[in-house]
Amino acid sequence: MFDRVEAFYRPESVPEVLRLLQRSKGQARMVAGGTDLVVEGDRSVRFLIDLTRAGLTYIRSRDTTCVIGATTTLADLEESTAIHALAGGLLSRAAAACGSVQNRNLATLGGNLAHGSPAADMATPLLALDASVVVADGEGRHKMPLAEYFGRAWQNGASHALLIEVRVPMPPQNGRCGWSFQKFGRTEVDLSLVNAAAGLQLDARGRVKWARLALGAVAAAPFRALPVESLMAGREFDHSLLAEAGEEVMREVQPIADLRASEEFRRELSRVVAGRALEECAARAGCSL
Amino acid sequence: MNTTVVGKNLRKVDGFKLVTGGAAFTDDVLLPGMLYGKILPSPYAHARIKRIDTSKAKALPGVHAVLTYKDVPRVPHTTAGQAWPEPSPYDTYLLDSKVRFVGDRVAAVAAESRALAEQALRLIDVDYEVLPAVLDMEAAMDAGAPVIHDEPDSTKIFDREHNIAAHIRREIGNVDDGFREADFIFEREYRTQRQQHCMLEPHVTICWLDGDGRLMIRTSTQVPYHCRRQVAMILQIPVSRVRVIKPRIGGGFGGKQEMLLEDICSALALATRRPVKIEYTREEEFYMARSRHPQILRMKMGVKRDGTVVASHLQVLATTGAYGSHASTVQGNTGSKVLPLYRAPHLRFECDVVYTNTPVAGAFRGYGCPQGFFAQESLADEIAYKLGMDPVEFHRKNAIRLGDVDKLSAQLGEGKEGLPRVIRSCGLPECVKRGAAAIDWDRKRQSLPARAGFVKHGVGMSCTMQGSGIAGIDWAASFLKMNEDGSFFLQVGASDVGAGADTVLAQIAAETLGVSLGKIIVTSGDTDFTPFDTGAYASSTTIISGGAVKKAAEKVRAQVLGVAAKMLAVPVENLACAKDEVFTTTKPRKSVSMAEVALQALYQEKLQIMDGASHYNTDSPPPFCATFAEVAVDTQTGRVRVVHLATAVDPGVAINPMQAEGQVEGAVTQGLGFALSEELMLNHTGWPMNPNFLDYKIFSAKDMPKLTTILVETEEPLGPYGAKSVSEVPINGVAPAIANAIFHAVGVRIRKLPIRPEDMLRALYEQQPELKPEEALVTQ
Amino acid sequence: MKTMSLCVTVNGESKQWTIAPGDLLLDVLRREGYFGVKRGCEKGECGACTVLVHGKPVNSCLIFAAQVEGGEILTIEGLAQGDTLDPLQEAFLDHGAVQCGFCTPGMILAAKALLDRQPHPTEEQVREALAGNYCRCTGYRKPVEAVLAAAARRKVPTEVAR
Repeated sequence: MFDRVEAFYRPESVPEVLRLLQRSKGQARMVAGGTDLVVEGDRSVRFLIDLTRAGLTYIRSRDTTCVIGATTTLADLEESTAIHALAGGLLSRAAAACGSVQNRNLATLGGNLAHGSPAADMATPLLALDASVVVADGEGRHKMPLAEYFGRAWQNGASHALLIEVRVPMPPQNGRCGWSFQKFGRTEVDLSLVNAAAGLQLDARGRVKWARLALGAVAAAPFRALPVESLMAGREFDHSLLAEAGEEVMREVQPIADLRASEEFRRELSRVVAGRALEECAARAGCSL
Repeated sequence: MNTTVVGKNLRKVDGFKLVTGGAAFTDDVLLPGMLYGKILPSPYAHARIKRIDTSKAKALPGVHAVLTYKDVPRVPHTTAGQAWPEPSPYDTYLLDSKVRFVGDRVAAVAAESRALAEQALRLIDVDYEVLPAVLDMEAAMDAGAPVIHDEPDSTKIFDREHNIAAHIRREIGNVDDGFREADFIFEREYRTQRQQHCMLEPHVTICWLDGDGRLMIRTSTQVPYHCRRQVAMILQIPVSRVRVIKPRIGGGFGGKQEMLLEDICSALALATRRPVKIEYTREEEFYMARSRHPQILRMKMGVKRDGTVVASHLQVLATTGAYGSHASTVQGNTGSKVLPLYRAPHLRFECDVVYTNTPVAGAFRGYGCPQGFFAQESLADEIAYKLGMDPVEFHRKNAIRLGDVDKLSAQLGEGKEGLPRVIRSCGLPECVKRGAAAIDWDRKRQSLPARAGFVKHGVGMSCTMQGSGIAGIDWAASFLKMNEDGSFFLQVGASDVGAGADTVLAQIAAETLGVSLGKIIVTSGDTDFTPFDTGAYASSTTIISGGAVKKAAEKVRAQVLGVAAKMLAVPVENLACAKDEVFTTTKPRKSVSMAEVALQALYQEKLQIMDGASHYNTDSPPPFCATFAEVAVDTQTGRVRVVHLATAVDPGVAINPMQAEGQVEGAVTQGLGFALSEELMLNHTGWPMNPNFLDYKIFSAKDMPKLTTILVETEEPLGPYGAKSVSEVPINGVAPAIANAIFHAVGVRIRKLPIRPEDMLRALYEQQPELKPEEALVTQ
Repeated sequence: MKTMSLCVTVNGESKQWTIAPGDLLLDVLRREGYFGVKRGCEKGECGACTVLVHGKPVNSCLIFAAQVEGGEILTIEGLAQGDTLDPLQEAFLDHGAVQCGFCTPGMILAAKALLDRQPHPTEEQVREALAGNYCRCTGYRKPVEAVLAAAARRKVPTEVAR
């Protein structure tokens, strides 16, 4: 399938990766887990650049930020104690919902984000956590919010810049906080027809201090449902608020219709899945409806 | 029954190599100089090849052959691996100037690598005259619909002008009278989809010429003998010049009851004089192999007020895709194995099997029954509900029983008149009883639907049957010979495709000869070295091939006893064999070991102890099955989760109960996919939209419900050691049991498969849940 | 065609092979005679090509051979010690967890990786570990039983492999 490949590079540093990328003039593909690249089967590839030895496999927990290297595998995220401690293990749970054990041992966080799939399961929890990414190109390193990265990736194609790492700000620890990742696939091992990540903090009287909600697979790229978040802030968490939030979600999503599901079904599902995510958050924050 | 090997949970005789990764399967060889064959699939659903230029492909270094219809003999045939003369139409050609579905063969190449073969395909220049296509089976018979088989030389097509591959109409009693006698008549329409076998090993064939120029075919087949006959006919070479070798097979489920790659791979080997391998990719497997016939079924039943079924009428429209492989026989089964489950005196089955420009359907576990039982058992549940009867009671009242004669089978044989079926063993009542107990039927039927919350639970059930071999057609032979150490070589034409036939047949031989299982060395499915067998299909191997093995073993045992009688100086009547020795049944006890008998025979008597036997049955004893499902319906997302699936099967005597259970569990898992998730979808131009495991969803370990498997053993007089069959029947009842459980849970009937979350949710929105049965009764 | 050299340890033996830079691990292993590595879908969905790389199950159809340079690979051929089967292999045979056997190597290796890390898994953990290995024959009940039985039978390794 990749019979036109002339060289396989295993660079050991980011500058080396960038040099190779520049030299190969668009005929190279970066390999991390390979889970998307191989499935795509792009026959025109002439150079392969293996990123997994470039020093980008790490999880570093600092005071205010957790930094995750781009070639960290989903299995690493699933198991890391640092990631378990972050937002109630939200990222671990999302990672565990991706594919099979075999897939998670290969698939990397960077690959999951950089490939630009609207269904990328890691994107929604990271959006909900206000994550940013660091990318590198010939001009140096740039930090940008994840949402902006998705915007650019969709405009320019993701392959121009190398995704270096993801930075996740530590969410507030005080108060009644809860986080949730919810996914709906046709079977247990499936890509998402809809996925949602949510976070919620309730005050002592059961009012929403703040809410975060990100949705995946129901628009061209995963996105934060900001109108839903602002609608919820300051309100009492109850069934009518959930219903309102659900209605707003259905207005915000722009799902496609394909063989996996109709637009109508995806829209309906996004309401249900988002609602379940918010409900789980509240339950984790100590408020069960 | 007092047995020492039969009825025991023994390890598979071929298990060691399978768990250690030993070279066992078709592709587990590296032949020097082997070429890679590849087929150019049609990009159009219906087209004529106006011009085809292979010169660029041929000029590519490393390409050794490019074949088109101009290079091969034109012999109309069927790819269905059936006994000669096949009932399927002869409507297929090795290569043709017309293509009839997306994926149909246009040309074939052999090159030194897979990449080169793929490149060569891209270099073949084809001008197509694209023809109007008919993809919808309901439009296939319309006046003016494109005629798919307009070639003059195909034969056995029922009505080519109207794209009808096969037509069936059979009746016992008088159904119109029957409906007049009925108090209530119910009629509903059901639809089933294109399901794919998804055996883990895709079709693969390796062909080469041996030193004498004979054609060797190493292939993943369920039917080595049919395959040999078909290839010889298509390539116009004598059968004696062809050898088919069936190694270990990575699953078949009917998909390999088909001569699929063997002809074209052989043609490439003959053209290049080098070994050639063709292996389908998973994608090719989905649309260039075979699938289950999609059907639209109209089921009408007339019942008395007390629930007695008096008449059933089943009308089926099915599509066989572009070629008529198994067209009449699969659909014949939809009638003959389904309707007689109920003892109604009036039964009618009508069916049209139409050609469409879609992937070809074929044999698939259940062979027409999963479709038919989905309709019949769904309707039975609906009737029981409307009469206020427990479905269990409805079945108890109406189901076929011991001593009954199924007369419809006499009318509906393998593409022609068949033989009446006499029920000589029937564990169905016990299956229903034990299945119901396993799922806690009585309690859950009362308590479940009332549960609060948006996830609703319900239980449903179905009863089904199948056959064991094709009466009067399936037959098998076996051969046994004794070695010095008291072991025996067992040679059978039967094809173990993974279901454990080699082990079961060895158990039958060992039991009959009084030796341990390790003393039987099996060779199976090699047309040069094993005797004839029609092959692994129609739930035939245990009863038919097993019958042949038992007969051969009895003959060989007689020879063993004859030699031992001389050695022990006692009459043969006073001898028996067990535990690897022959011993006297009278006092004083004397014995010789099997090894001593063998040495005596081989070196003193100059006698090879050996014999063979052939076997067939004139009846096809049905195995029975009761399926009970508990489901949880998420009324917000439409997800139907099966919580518990209990399957009680009467397989006759289970020769290896552990393996029999494995057959049941594998069958119900395919049944779960049929019910809930699996469908090969085509777009409006006939292209497959989901030919991969990413979007064609089969169940994984995580999707599985709790499975309860119950073997209700009966003793079948026609089977070796009382065995019938087990591998097909459990797939039939899963979909209706689930659909019925869904109705119990949410009051909505689903009559179309698969029941995807979206379909379920839509039905919940569109249908008013039925709550009051008495109002819904339809009287004449 | 361009070639390169690949040094790996397969089943404890050092190997040096000549490969093409675009070769997938599945193709290289089968070419070198490791027929227990099965080709089922080539899209990382079915798990028949599962091998362990540094003890972790991966789909060898999704990984370039060149990526495992210097790595340690375990295929099904390396699991038994001569005629002495691994407890997992024994359990698969005793529990009827093998039917056609095509998915068996991948499934046993996925199970081994689980048991090496989690010697006493729950049924749910076993199902999760096997979720990447499609089987069309067994319905998974007997394989799951076999893994649980092997866990019970297996001596807990003194050194837990990572």
